[in-house]
Amino acid sequence: MPEIRVRFEDLSVGYEIPKLARSITREDVERYADVSGDRNPLHLDDGFARSVGFPGVIAHGMFTMGHLAHCLTDWLGDPSALSRMDVQLRAPVFLGDVIVADGRVKALDPKMRTVVLDVWVTVDRDGSVEYPIRRGEAEVRLPAE
Amino acid sequence: MAEEAAVPMNPALEGKVYPPVPFTVDPERVERFRAAFGEERDIVPPTFVTAAEWAVFPGIIEDPGLELDFSRVVHAQQEYEWRRPLVVGETLTVRPRIASIREKGGHGFLTVETELVGADGAIVVIARATLIERGV
Repeated sequence: MPEIRVRFEDLSVGYEIPKLARSITREDVERYADVSGDRNPLHLDDGFARSVGFPGVIAHGMFTMGHLAHCLTDWLGDPSALSRMDVQLRAPVFLGDVIVADGRVKALDPKMRTVVLDVWVTVDRDGSVEYPIRRGEAEVRLPAE
Repeated sequence: MAEEAAVPMNPALEGKVYPPVPFTVDPERVERFRAAFGEERDIVPPTFVTAAEWAVFPGIIEDPGLELDFSRVVHAQQEYEWRRPLVVGETLTVRPRIASIREKGGHGFLTVETELVGADGAIVVIARATLIERGV
């Protein structure tokens, strides 16, 4: 069984979690549409995506959020510590993009052993940085020693 | 392409509760979900909850009374509150309701709040999805 490997005592405001990058392919988007059940043509049909103003299909916002959650569970070691996430999906993610999930501790409650993090996801397109998720928030609850 | 006249969502549906639907945390589907994210540990990924939401979203999106044009929809915001991780093989009850319908800046905002309830009756996850219907 996976175990929580983050100790509350090791954290402080400003602590940065390890970033996690991944590229987005058409196969990723199609596979996610199948497994999630979200078969909106915006993610599957280039012609439809163009008809609503995008250059082609875009990745699911929930794929971006899922990648961010993966970044958090990678850091934590176990999903049982993750108690809340709240994100706004601000910019589309296109095929070929590399999304980078990241986060930083912004508040700690020693009594409740909860940690609130700012979390975000960036895409760097030729030096221009977009934020598919800009000011997301995650809350983590860590067990007593 | 000519734009069709956009009809705003029907605000009277705010608060509407939809019938609960059972959702089993299927091991094969969890496996595929983990593979989609490159998750190598033996866990149910936290956002697997999305699959449970999609068990009930079609019934809301296609509710004729709502007058939502799904071809104009993009996902704008998502919140999850997890009381515990999902367990492979368990069957949850998925209880959706329309938490709010708003109009702002020429766009419609629909928030669906979905509770996932365990076999013991305790809430396991609360999900809030906000969809934007563009250009109403």
